[in-house]
Amino acid sequence: MSILKSEIRVPRFAEETLRRARLSVVPDRVEEARRAPFVALVVLLLGGGVAGLLAFNTSMQQASFHATALENRADALTAKKQALSMQLAAKRDPQALAARAKALGMVVPTDPAFIRLTDGTILGQPTAATPDDSMRINPAPAVKPEVLAPKPRVVKVPAATPAAVTPSASPSTVEKKPHRQKKGHSIQ
Amino acid sequence: MFLLVVAMVVSLFGVRLFQLQGLDPKAYAAKAREQGAVTAVLPAKRGEILDRTGSPLAQSVQGRMLIADPALTRPYAAVIARVLADRLDVDYFDTLAKLTKKNSRFQYLARRIPSTQATAAVTAIQAKIKPLIKDKEKRAVPFGGVTLMSDPLRSYPGKDVAANLLGFINANGQPSGLELSFDKLLSGKDGKQTYEVGGGNRIPLGQNTTVEPRNGKDLELTIDRDTQWYVQRVLCNAVEGSGAESGSAVVMRPGTGEVLALADCPTFDANDPSTAKKGTLGAPSLQNVYEPGSVEKVLTVSSLLDAHKVTPRTKITVAPELHVADRTIHDWFTHPVLHLTMTGVIAKSSNIGTAEAATQLTHEQLYDKLREFGLGSRTGVGLAGETAGLVPDWHSWSAVNQATIAFGQGISVNTLQMAAAINTIANHGVYVSPSLVKGSATTDSGQQVGTDHTTKRRVVSTEAATKMTRMMEMVPNPETGTAPGAQVAGYRVAGKTGTAQEVDPKCKCYGNGFTVSFAGFAPADKPAFTVYVVINKPTNGGGGGSIGGPAFSKIQSFLLQRYGVTPTGTKAPNLPIYWGSDLR
Repeated sequence: MSILKSEIRVPRFAEETLRRARLSVVPDRVEEARRAPFVALVVLLLGGGVAGLLAFNTSMQQASFHATALENRADALTAKKQALSMQLAAKRDPQALAARAKALGMVVPTDPAFIRLTDGTILGQPTAATPDDSMRINPAPAVKPEVLAPKPRVVKVPAATPAAVTPSASPSTVEKKPHRQKKGHSIQ
Repeated sequence: MFLLVVAMVVSLFGVRLFQLQGLDPKAYAAKAREQGAVTAVLPAKRGEILDRTGSPLAQSVQGRMLIADPALTRPYAAVIARVLADRLDVDYFDTLAKLTKKNSRFQYLARRIPSTQATAAVTAIQAKIKPLIKDKEKRAVPFGGVTLMSDPLRSYPGKDVAANLLGFINANGQPSGLELSFDKLLSGKDGKQTYEVGGGNRIPLGQNTTVEPRNGKDLELTIDRDTQWYVQRVLCNAVEGSGAESGSAVVMRPGTGEVLALADCPTFDANDPSTAKKGTLGAPSLQNVYEPGSVEKVLTVSSLLDAHKVTPRTKITVAPELHVADRTIHDWFTHPVLHLTMTGVIAKSSNIGTAEAATQLTHEQLYDKLREFGLGSRTGVGLAGETAGLVPDWHSWSAVNQATIAFGQGISVNTLQMAAAINTIANHGVYVSPSLVKGSATTDSGQQVGTDHTTKRRVVSTEAATKMTRMMEMVPNPETGTAPGAQVAGYRVAGKTGTAQEVDPKCKCYGNGFTVSFAGFAPADKPAFTVYVVINKPTNGGGGGSIGGPAFSKIQSFLLQRYGVTPTGTKAPNLPIYWGSDLR
């Protein structure tokens, strides 16, 4: 064990010096290396390593908690952002804008007209908007079924001419036919 | 003694080791994984559908469904229903019934609710219920009667704006419309993540595999949301005002073929398609056919002009009625023998005059021209289910077919097809294929569509197109034409009315219904927009001029203003309508 140690303890570059030293008569003073610091070092390394690993693991776990919390928060924020962008889109919806404009009494201009800023020329035929230009922006109210809103009954009474005034020519009830266009190849 | 104890303990360990590792190691490993591992689907975000300015027409939002366990909610039903009715726009009594349902442990309370709203509602419920729970131990645990689950939400902020084109995604996740045609492009690919969990938190050095999701791509349309909205409202007013059944309208840019608006009426709210009336969910403007009627005369006459068979001043003697083979052709107005110029035939919309002039073209020539104008073939804008319309093969034509097809009967088209055909005249005789998609996109069927794939072809000469335009300018002219209502003050407008009888699908004969329409463009000498309005089955007795014309004018006025198109300042030519003895 000690031979092995001395072999280890003598580094190669020191051999020359050793040889020279042997020439002089000097007592051998190779000291035995002390063990304690080495053991302390190993224990320190080992202890430090374990403690470090434990600390590292703990901090990793802590970071994982933090990451989970942050991820949840990110999810919540993403959802919030989406909800807000939905709200924004709803506000920018042309129908909503038109409804608000209409509430302010605005109408769509009928005749386009422009002012050329370079020389102040008016292009187009500007006409003042009137309430008549207002446009319905909501669908018409639903038509009631015929049971609830029966068609007006139109009764045609034949004009009473002296010749036709006989008991048989009593007024006949005729439903008015809906207006119809000419048949055949009638194309406009 | 000590050694014996050690040996026994060690052998016990040995037996256990053998049991774990030797007998069925895989089952144990799987069990362990099951306990700790969580596999989560990382949902790919569905792409948005945007209009030409980047405003969203369809967007995806994190959604949640609210689920109740009636076994748990029954005692607190009134409280829960109150909160939900206040916050989520659900019916109080319906909710109450679901919350107290017997023999059930799963009830949908609300679906596709934005995540924040849903979470807030559940938090509110828990806060309300907590003080009501008497058991201390149970109070410590969050109330589990109402829970949340992921439920992707597709939102259409414009509601009915372009709904007929966009389609919607139904409760089962089944898309329709453009959502269906571009489903692959929009949906992307879901990812997956597997990781180990301890106490709700990820174990840092545990097993962890992630497949990143591939988000869907956005689809940008050529549609202008505000224009689309306005066109839809004007169209619906025209439909309702004339007591009509339905209608459609198209706005196109002549040079590029971009479709700024493609409207159908009636339409529906894409957020809530279940409330739609029956048969209104598709896009009739692309999927239904009708006979174009007199608007088609523009195509016939421009073909005649292109072949140098007529000029705008060609004198035509229009008989009161025209006998072709065994059929008699009438005009929409009764008249004696009229002396109309070719321009007059267009301005007055004479069937007889057009049929007479069209005899100068062979069947094949007329057929070929109509096909070149895009009739009888799909526009290929990318919406699934588009119809090709029908132009019968010329080999089977008789003289009657030639005569009626010349004024728009006996062929069928869809609205966009016909708009693109009229757009050819606006674009100086060059047909431009219409586009709904800005840039380029691939449909699910592998077809590449969009403005990057626009095709152009010359159909009639520039000269013929210009002459045709001048003739069409006489139509909105109150002194000469059939559609004074189509004028736009200060601008030159070219257009053509159409009134065609509708074919009854039952008897395959002409029914009582009419399809009235107006197609045109402005400014006539520098076209900026082609607009086509079609109204089906009006009941107020109006025609293309009186119903379609005013709608056309409103849409054109809006467009010219919105896009800042100033009047050209030129004067419309005054072409003669009559000749000979009718000249006044």
